[in-house]
Amino acid sequence: MTPILELRNGTKEYRGVPAVQDVTFTLHRGEVHALLGENGAGKSTLTKMLAGVVQPTSGEVLIDGRPVDLPTPSEALKRGIAMVYQETSLVPSLTVAQNIYLTDKKRFHRLRGIYIAGQQFLQSLNFHVDPTAMVSALGAGQKQMVEIARAVHHNAQVIIFDEPTATLTPEEKHQFFSLVARLKSRGVSIVFISHALEEALQISDRITVMRDGRHIVTDVTSAFDREKIVRAMVGRSLSDELYGRHGDRRTRPAGDKVLSVQNLSMGNAVRNTSFSAFAGQITGVFGLIGSGRTEAAKVVAGVLKRDLFHGGQVRLDGRPVRYRVPRPAVRDGIIYVTEDRKIEGFFETMSIAENIYLGAMAGGRSRSATVSMGEMRALAREWIEALNVKAINGDARVIELSGGNQQKIVVAKALVQKPRLIIFDEPTRGVDVGAIAEIHQLIGRLADDGIAVVVISSYLPEILQLSDRILVCRQGRIVEEFDGGRTDEETIMYAAVH
Amino acid sequence: MQGLGRLSQEQIVFGLAVLLCAGFAVALPGFLTTNNVLNLVRSVSILGILGVAMGLVVIGRGIDLSLVALMAISVAWTLSLIQGGMPLVQAIGIGLVFSLFVGAVNGWIVAYVEIPAIFATLAMGTLVYGFGRYYLFDLDVVYMPPAGAPLLWLGQGTLLGVPVPIYLFALVCLGGYLFLRYARGGRYLRSVGDNILAARITGVPVRPTIVMQYVLSSLIGYMAGIVTAASVASMNTRVAISTYVYDVILVVVLGGIGLSGGKGGIRNVIVGTLLIGVLLNGMTIMDIQYTVQNVIKGVILLTAIVIDTIVNPRDEQTAQQGDI
Repeated sequence: MTPILELRNGTKEYRGVPAVQDVTFTLHRGEVHALLGENGAGKSTLTKMLAGVVQPTSGEVLIDGRPVDLPTPSEALKRGIAMVYQETSLVPSLTVAQNIYLTDKKRFHRLRGIYIAGQQFLQSLNFHVDPTAMVSALGAGQKQMVEIARAVHHNAQVIIFDEPTATLTPEEKHQFFSLVARLKSRGVSIVFISHALEEALQISDRITVMRDGRHIVTDVTSAFDREKIVRAMVGRSLSDELYGRHGDRRTRPAGDKVLSVQNLSMGNAVRNTSFSAFAGQITGVFGLIGSGRTEAAKVVAGVLKRDLFHGGQVRLDGRPVRYRVPRPAVRDGIIYVTEDRKIEGFFETMSIAENIYLGAMAGGRSRSATVSMGEMRALAREWIEALNVKAINGDARVIELSGGNQQKIVVAKALVQKPRLIIFDEPTRGVDVGAIAEIHQLIGRLADDGIAVVVISSYLPEILQLSDRILVCRQGRIVEEFDGGRTDEETIMYAAVH
Repeated sequence: MQGLGRLSQEQIVFGLAVLLCAGFAVALPGFLTTNNVLNLVRSVSILGILGVAMGLVVIGRGIDLSLVALMAISVAWTLSLIQGGMPLVQAIGIGLVFSLFVGAVNGWIVAYVEIPAIFATLAMGTLVYGFGRYYLFDLDVVYMPPAGAPLLWLGQGTLLGVPVPIYLFALVCLGGYLFLRYARGGRYLRSVGDNILAARITGVPVRPTIVMQYVLSSLIGYMAGIVTAASVASMNTRVAISTYVYDVILVVVLGGIGLSGGKGGIRNVIVGTLLIGVLLNGMTIMDIQYTVQNVIKGVILLTAIVIDTIVNPRDEQTAQQGDI
């Protein structure tokens, strides 16, 4: 059988540095093909070559066995290859239907016409999205549906998804999986990049693993298990170290009550919630996206604007506090480590050393009005070593590092501020497998050192592995508390969704 | 950090300035005379000082369109106070305080009321010019009174054969460089320009930093104004409604300080000043019409930006902000 899409001996170099090296990738008609690998393994570059976003330095792309030239994404789309990005490419200020018909052959549309056509079309795909709704008002899952609908509308025979489930809630993920099944039954071939191995095992027909820009293995999914994939991805077995049996782990006893939040309310996101955090302990907060967990943390750390604050009390060491901006919170030792480091995590025009030193200055650690270059470099050396950051030296720019190393810099910038309470929001999002283990160990060490640690995550194994106490957040409230050593995934998930 | 063999915008602009200089030197007989060179650098110094003021604001992801208007009005007021018999130091003090106050109000509107800098300072520039012309003095041009003679040295004097304004420009550049590199405030300013959300979460006093950058620009602007008044023994307040402030922005952007904030430093201002200074001077000697000069300036700016984008393309990868 001729594969519908093939990359033969593809190589892509950026400034002479190969991102993908001599990779051959085949996609059969009607199959779901998972593409796995650590960050920087070359997955995105590979799919971008297939979708005409970048041109291979050498090698060729074949459609139905015939070599083709795909100079632009729109050329690829004409030939039936669509790519759905993690960050959506929809126009937020247009409606759903307008987005679907945006790049249509027909240049002018009647609004009513496309709303009716859009309604029928979305229904035929069984998507519950209002075609007249503004895209900016949609949730992540719905946006993705619109992207997919647009791809299907263009008669895409191949749809490539770049981390489609990263921003979805479990419920939306289920919808996505059933959607993939439906697309497959229509004969559409699907490539999807993912960091979630369970998903790959669950929905794919074949799996390809890449590492360091090279093809490692391709086989039918039934030939893989979690262990085998991880080994192929990292070249070593990390699984136990990463998500070991949490049952064997002893939980840390609670120290002093550092933070106590009572009846906190904020808009619709946080509703009359109460919780606390203790020194020397990791408090895991599990909740689905939209459950108010991030917002509650941001209110505590003064990150959210004050006019959204509707009442309640926050106590730090029993003393009532209310921060209008993050600065006094930082000075009091409450540090929030963001879930979105690209938007609010680091300074991209500054070096590693400058980033970390800025944290030290703003945190009040260095009181002098002038910068000491020597101190700055020493600080950078200290933290690069302590967190095992892979960079040439402190003068490297943060933007040039991999996701995991960027995260380590954001963490280092927080830790130089000497936190008493540190809140990690999705500490391992977009971080490669090797760095996840390191960050987890680091978080454990912080708690051992007596710092009150709060970890917010929507990844259950992470919560279970790290937490001494687990709080479950649902619809803006902390609804349940568990002992970290004596609970399991189902119990927590049950509390989070009901 | 540019890779080897790649030119930054700064280097391109510097090259252009040198080329242009060489071209004028060959083509224009009057260009390389001592008199003209001194005149050139003197006039360029003022543009450069204003460039530093604007540069600091732009690095902090703002823009100060009231810079020239504020400079003209506060200095003209100073001159008219001296004319009215006020002691020199007191008059300068009042002018300076007025300038700093307006700068602080600019900063307050931008930081606390959260009006985009371009609108806030545009309105402030108009307000200041109108206020000054209506309440503070009667004529467009305020002349330096005899009592202000000691100031003239700042604009017309020489030290070791080099005009004083050049020293002042150098001094402001050095101050700006040290501030951005070594001062806590300078670091805060860069962090706010680079990523205001990250700066906020890190605990940087974001709003006071924004106020500081406009106060700094009004301070440096006032200095530039004093030098201007000293060079020509008067202050023509019509400069407030001329396109001079856009020349200053041209210097900053051409030098390579990105309007998106965080990027560049004082070196970029110096390079941009050189190019624009040489260009303006050469065109004036050639007796090119003012309107045509604007065409040429516009073309140069576009060319520099286009060349920069061709030589230093945005990385395909980082543009997609995904992993490889």
